[in-house]
Amino acid sequence: MLPELSHEEILRYSRHLLIPEVGLDGQRKLKNSSVLVIGTGGLGSPVALYLAAAGVGRIGLVDYDVVDQTNLQRQVIHGASTVGQLKVESARAKMLDLNSDIQVDVYNEPFTSENAMRIAKDYDVLIDGTDNFPTRYLSNDVAVFLGKPNVYGSIFRFDGQVSVFDARRGPCYRCLFPEPPPPGLVPSCAEGGVLGVLPGTVGTLQATEALKLLLGMGDPLIGKLLLYNALDMSFDFVTLKKNPKCRVCGPSADIHELIDYEEFCGVPGHDHEDGSAGADWDIEASELASRLNSGASTSLSADLLLLDVREPHELQISALPHALNIPLGQLASRLSELDSAREMVVFCKAGTRSARALELLVSAGFKKVRNLKGGINAWAREVDTTLPIY
Amino acid sequence: MRYYVDNQHEITIPAASMAELVSGILARYPVLRPHLFDAEGNLRRHFNIFVNGANIRDLNGMDTPLTDGDKVILMASAAGG
Ligand SMILES: [Zn+2]
Repeated sequence: MLPELSHEEILRYSRHLLIPEVGLDGQRKLKNSSVLVIGTGGLGSPVALYLAAAGVGRIGLVDYDVVDQTNLQRQVIHGASTVGQLKVESARAKMLDLNSDIQVDVYNEPFTSENAMRIAKDYDVLIDGTDNFPTRYLSNDVAVFLGKPNVYGSIFRFDGQVSVFDARRGPCYRCLFPEPPPPGLVPSCAEGGVLGVLPGTVGTLQATEALKLLLGMGDPLIGKLLLYNALDMSFDFVTLKKNPKCRVCGPSADIHELIDYEEFCGVPGHDHEDGSAGADWDIEASELASRLNSGASTSLSADLLLLDVREPHELQISALPHALNIPLGQLASRLSELDSAREMVVFCKAGTRSARALELLVSAGFKKVRNLKGGINAWAREVDTTLPIY
Repeated sequence: MRYYVDNQHEITIPAASMAELVSGILARYPVLRPHLFDAEGNLRRHFNIFVNGANIRDLNGMDTPLTDGDKVILMASAAGG
């Protein structure tokens, strides 16, 4: 039995009720349905807002992060007034403000192999709006095990990907990407950046697919992947087939329980930067400052080389004097410009790219290299507060 | 992808097969090699190549023939959200 709509709800959803594909029955179906939104960041923001507005009766939110200033450029469900609050609470308040007739369940915890099945089992549709590989594999595998559709979206800079993975009717995420990339090969949004409106485009497409699935209308994006590029304004569709060798949904699947990827493959987890190369290789901003000060009377650069591996446009935001700029992507081909006998401190924005640069340098035989822990942002926090943090 | 190829998003390279196309791309952008292939020379598992919308894994892999005007998309997985 579908729930009835009150007169207020009928008025609120008037524009839905006028569409024959939705109508009164469809709106009651939505009221009776549930969606789990995994991640309340760039993608989760529009997804949660539009599903709340559309009248999806029960929406779950999973996130353990706190709203910060750098989120507001794209995570429109949060606001300046909720910086510092839990993302799930910030999002819930906004959703209930938009529509108090719905129920919002919040899970302020990381989505892991321990809790994923328990959290996901009571929802009709899952939405993958996370910002990291381990959670994406987890969302996929949970959806496969529970026999639920997983509405996938991902973003990077100007590019977006959207699909509906439903192993009962088509391929899953693992059919397309059997394994996560090796550490360091694919930059995260925190390293590479993202156009703020991009998750808006991709997230609203995910919300559209979720509503279609809940209402059983239209052609779901199953077996198809949309590749969107904002600069070209191009929408390319490619066909996805079930991979017969898929380890989770194929005939000889050998993955039967959830895996927490981070533990064994070392893929950078969250879209945050911790910026360490390991204690032996790190130098703290304060320690570097005193090193530089002690040599200040002589020429700094003769003694210690500062190697900035950021992209040239980032130097306009903040820079260290006398630093040599070689972007990480060019480092391997420009090693001849560096003197391996000289002491070197490598840095980037927050220490992630420089840790990778350090690995590269060490494997090329450089021995006197250290990584500025926390990058130039740590320097801006601890040493030179006139520099902005970004 | 774009991240590593100087923001060149569309390039035209004459090639009769996928293998030829890929070596043409790598000749122009050698920095891509470790992104596309592992140490054994296999296409990395987080990478997909599509010819006119079909995955080359469902065609003939690197032996997939190409003809004039074929549209090839190279796509890496992205985790951003
Ligand atoms: Zn699969």
